[in-house]
Amino acid sequence: MVVYPDWAALAPALALAVTGLVLLLIDSVDPDDSRPGLLAGTAVVGTLVSLGYAGWFLASGTGQVDGGTGAISLYRDALVVDGMALFFQAVFAVVTALVCIASYDYLKERAYQAEFYSLVMFAATGMAVMATANSLATAFIALELASLPSYALVAFLKHNRGSVEASLKYFLIGALSSAVFAFGISLVYAATGSLLLADVASALSALDGGLTGVAAIGVLMVAGGFAFKTASVPFHFWAPEAYEGAPAPISAFLSSASKAAGFAVLFRVFTTAFPLDAAGVDWMLLFQVLAVVTMTLGNFAAATQETVKRMLAYSSIGHAGYALIGLAAWSGGAPGSVENGAVLGASMAHLLVYGFMNTGAFLFVALAEQWDVGRTFEDYAGLGSRAPMASVAMTVFMFSLAGVPPFGGFFSKLFLFAGAVDAGFWWLAAVGVVNSTLSLYYYSRVVKALWVDDPVGEFELGGTPTGLYVAVVFAAVGTLLLLPGFAPVIETAQSVAAALVP
Amino acid sequence: MAAFDYAPAIVLLPFVSFLVSLGAALYGDDVLPKGGALAGIVATAGSLILSLWVFFTVSAGNVYNQTIYTWTTGAGAAGEEALELTFGLLLDPLSSMMLIIVSLVALLVHVFSLGYMNDEGETGLPRYYAGLGLFSASMLGFVVAHNILMAFMFFELVGLCSFLLIGFWFREPGPPSAAKKAFLVTRFGDYFFLVGVVAIFATFGTGRFAGAESFPVLAEEVLAGEVAVNTFGFAPTTWFTVVGLLVLGGVIGKSAQFPLHTWLPDAMEGPTPVSALIHAATMVAAGVYLVARMYGFYAVSPTALAVIALVGGFTALVAATMGVVKREIKQVLAYSTISQYGYMMLALGAGGYVAATFHLLTHAFFKALLFLGAGSVIIAMHHNENMWDMGGLKDRMPVTYWTFLSGSLALAGIIPFAGFWSKDEVLYEALVHGLGTDGGLGTIFLVAYAFGLLAVFFTGFYTFRMVFLTFHGDARTGQARDPEGVGWNVKGPLAVLGVLAAVTGFVNMTPVADLFDLDIEYLHRWLEGPEGVEFMSALSAHHYLELLESDVTGIHAAELDPLIPGGVSLLLALAGVGLAYALYGRGEPEEYTAKLGGVQDLLYNNYYQDEYQVAIAERVVLPLSRAADKFDQSGVDGVVNGVSSVSLFSGSRVRRVQTGLVSNYAALVTLGLTVLLVAFGIYGGWLL
Repeated sequence: MVVYPDWAALAPALALAVTGLVLLLIDSVDPDDSRPGLLAGTAVVGTLVSLGYAGWFLASGTGQVDGGTGAISLYRDALVVDGMALFFQAVFAVVTALVCIASYDYLKERAYQAEFYSLVMFAATGMAVMATANSLATAFIALELASLPSYALVAFLKHNRGSVEASLKYFLIGALSSAVFAFGISLVYAATGSLLLADVASALSALDGGLTGVAAIGVLMVAGGFAFKTASVPFHFWAPEAYEGAPAPISAFLSSASKAAGFAVLFRVFTTAFPLDAAGVDWMLLFQVLAVVTMTLGNFAAATQETVKRMLAYSSIGHAGYALIGLAAWSGGAPGSVENGAVLGASMAHLLVYGFMNTGAFLFVALAEQWDVGRTFEDYAGLGSRAPMASVAMTVFMFSLAGVPPFGGFFSKLFLFAGAVDAGFWWLAAVGVVNSTLSLYYYSRVVKALWVDDPVGEFELGGTPTGLYVAVVFAAVGTLLLLPGFAPVIETAQSVAAALVP
Repeated sequence: MAAFDYAPAIVLLPFVSFLVSLGAALYGDDVLPKGGALAGIVATAGSLILSLWVFFTVSAGNVYNQTIYTWTTGAGAAGEEALELTFGLLLDPLSSMMLIIVSLVALLVHVFSLGYMNDEGETGLPRYYAGLGLFSASMLGFVVAHNILMAFMFFELVGLCSFLLIGFWFREPGPPSAAKKAFLVTRFGDYFFLVGVVAIFATFGTGRFAGAESFPVLAEEVLAGEVAVNTFGFAPTTWFTVVGLLVLGGVIGKSAQFPLHTWLPDAMEGPTPVSALIHAATMVAAGVYLVARMYGFYAVSPTALAVIALVGGFTALVAATMGVVKREIKQVLAYSTISQYGYMMLALGAGGYVAATFHLLTHAFFKALLFLGAGSVIIAMHHNENMWDMGGLKDRMPVTYWTFLSGSLALAGIIPFAGFWSKDEVLYEALVHGLGTDGGLGTIFLVAYAFGLLAVFFTGFYTFRMVFLTFHGDARTGQARDPEGVGWNVKGPLAVLGVLAAVTGFVNMTPVADLFDLDIEYLHRWLEGPEGVEFMSALSAHHYLELLESDVTGIHAAELDPLIPGGVSLLLALAGVGLAYALYGRGEPEEYTAKLGGVQDLLYNNYYQDEYQVAIAERVVLPLSRAADKFDQSGVDGVVNGVSSVSLFSGSRVRRVQTGLVSNYAALVTLGLTVLLVAFGIYGGWLL
């Protein structure tokens, strides 16, 4: 049996980084983007390799407790590869692959394609590292690595005022949040004298009373930094603008993968570095407040939007609220116990399902942008008869996002809410259910426009962009396959989540 | 056992014939020879052959109780077994006997339909045969069901099929309305049944009829204090009675017992062969069969038994009196059906499991015979059903007459025809258990017995009033003088059933056995089941008797010679027949009922059962529904509409926060963070 070196466990992240470099290399050989297929193909292959590694490691037990090697620590504990990291890396890889496939059509006739793909790859690399970050320093660096390319990507349509404006706002809020985050880290370091999560935890437990306030402010500010990445209240203001202004595939990328990355590092940092009883802040209460406010605000705002893309942007905020339940109802039971993993794992599974359905929904918007049918709900009227396959896929996404059976989103929400109830937070689940009910209203508006409403005027669809179609249909199939395949997903997610706290 | 491997085909064959006919019905009328009848005949004949095979396999001492398909498995709470919802077969003496009854009657009805439907040039035949096929399949599936949920599903299918077939002539005004009535009234009972099914699953965690883990066995063990189940805060006896009565709701609806019997006479609007099927072997029999199937559960609940016995006895008498004044031949038969099923319920309630099964068996044959005979008469009379327009058909249609007479003698309970033996045993069981049991239960049995005994007289009377009016005397109309001939496909089934109606009673001649000390109670022995099979011991007649005589139930039989009560009931039946002869059998019959005055009106209107039920619906249910609707419209909808407008309003407020100015956002982010810091700082105690 071949013994691989430990750093090989980073293969999912390395694959993405290498792909980004290869893309730059191709660009230097062929600066005119004369072969867009090659660029897109390289990017897709790179993400699929990353996905393959993540899936293989997950299946073979690398970094996992059950039948595996146990968590692999690298570079003096700065990085750690465990089941949760691999799970999230798989999510990122899937979303990135879908985005790259869809971008092939979206970028047709546009300049700087190689730069686009390589930026996506570097952002994805940053996310993959975020999932493995085991120290506050690496968390910060990885978060910046994921963010900086994103700012550029949002502004990719640089002759489009909306795109540029959105990027600037995103960048400014991002800079503010990074400052808050970095300040928070420094306060935590001041109180504990370490940046490694495990050391922070032990130092916090043994903290001298006088420094509690310092550490607590630090913890809250760190939470703020993550709230920016996950687009949670009150750091969510950039999200609607950025998602709306950005090219639709990038909106998909940001709202699915980038958000999931935020959650990956959020979950790890809070469960391992800040023990509930010693952090000085009742962060479960914090996340309960944030979850309720975030999901309510997101859903309420989404209900009154006129354009589909902005509605999806707000719904994405709402889903961040659902995912926060994973921490808000974290029971903090005995280390490694099942109860620990149940609700956190459900939250992770929800992010996976969300990766499919939300990416798919934004890609459908990309498709509509490609056809130039318009942006509002009314403009989508009659698409059902002209593009039935894509419309069926969009219908699946909408119902799945709303959490209607029998789609993947139903099960993930079910487990999430059930986990919250089991942990004793039935009111959290109740708020979630009420919000889901409200969300059905605006999601079904899209479905109604697609199938029921008559088109306002005559319009022609300009051809069928193959890549976009493939990506949309693949996402829909994924959403549907997560129905029968949900059992292994939730089991994996819950077991790796249970293993998070040693 | 090979027979058991093929047993699912008993159900599937008629289902396939349903599919074939359905395909034909969808495709167009004329693709199948005989409109699909042949497929149905072949399928039910196949079912009959397989049923016989199963019967002989069972009589060789083999029984079968297996799950075939598990369609859902629950997660199962901690420490409890997961709930499983399954399909499976239970083939024991009771079900294998019932299989033969159902498949035989279904086959004969299919054949008879050739004469009644095809030869009369009806349209829509594929639809008709599709209905018959599904009807037979549903009933056969119900019979072999090995758990109560599966039984419930097929029970509902049976109800659906009866709806479809009763309303077969949907272009006329009567049949659709009758079909709806049948559907709704039985559905009313089925609501209780459904709740009962859920209660059984919630209580025992299983719906199995047989086996160590079946609910009747568990109930028995609970009462013996061996195991504990969740009885929802009631004493086990009380709770089991409640559950039993809930299930009984479905039984009362399907088996047309008082007060849910009103659908059945109206159901005569359907084609006559369908009536035969409904009354003899399928729909109505399903209710009684269900009680017999889970008799072990009822046997531990004296209250439920008392209710069953009383409802049965009362129904037997009331329905018999209503049958006395009817003009249409099928109406008389309809009320006789209600009355006869009342006897079966009486027997079940009074602890006569074997007697009830016996009567189910004999009644299936003679009632199918009478309906098919009536169908033959109706063909001859060009679909005029009024007995006052008939008369003198005896000489013109001898096969119909003699077979009909055999069935009538059986129905009236005249020795030695089948009905005598079974009815006698029913009454005997009720009497001995009434005399032997102490307290109120015994009194109730005696009252029920009195009802049943009195009904014997009326049964004899209305049966022979029908025979005399239809076949004897002079023809009263032109139609009766020149009846249309019927073919082999009508006479064949009549002949088969005519013989069976005469001889079926010999399988369990208890009085003769007692008198000559012979061992000829074959049915009794049959229902004891084979020995040595574990689960069979809880399903045997012997075990049921033990349960009844246990301290829980406390039913005991008095020592009594069967000859005297048998003689009494025979005399009463003969008196009824004699009265009918005196009034209608000689010369030109008169409408004596006119002399009854007010009583006649009362009887014609069936004790105003329909009227009071309609009144309940209109005076009580309708205002309640209106009030509920009003509440829904204003209260619930108002809240919902209010919520949505509040949501949209606050949504638009939330939107305004998103001003589009990035400096505002930065300010809000900072403010938000500050609020959180201050709030958690004060809450956490490290700030201020």
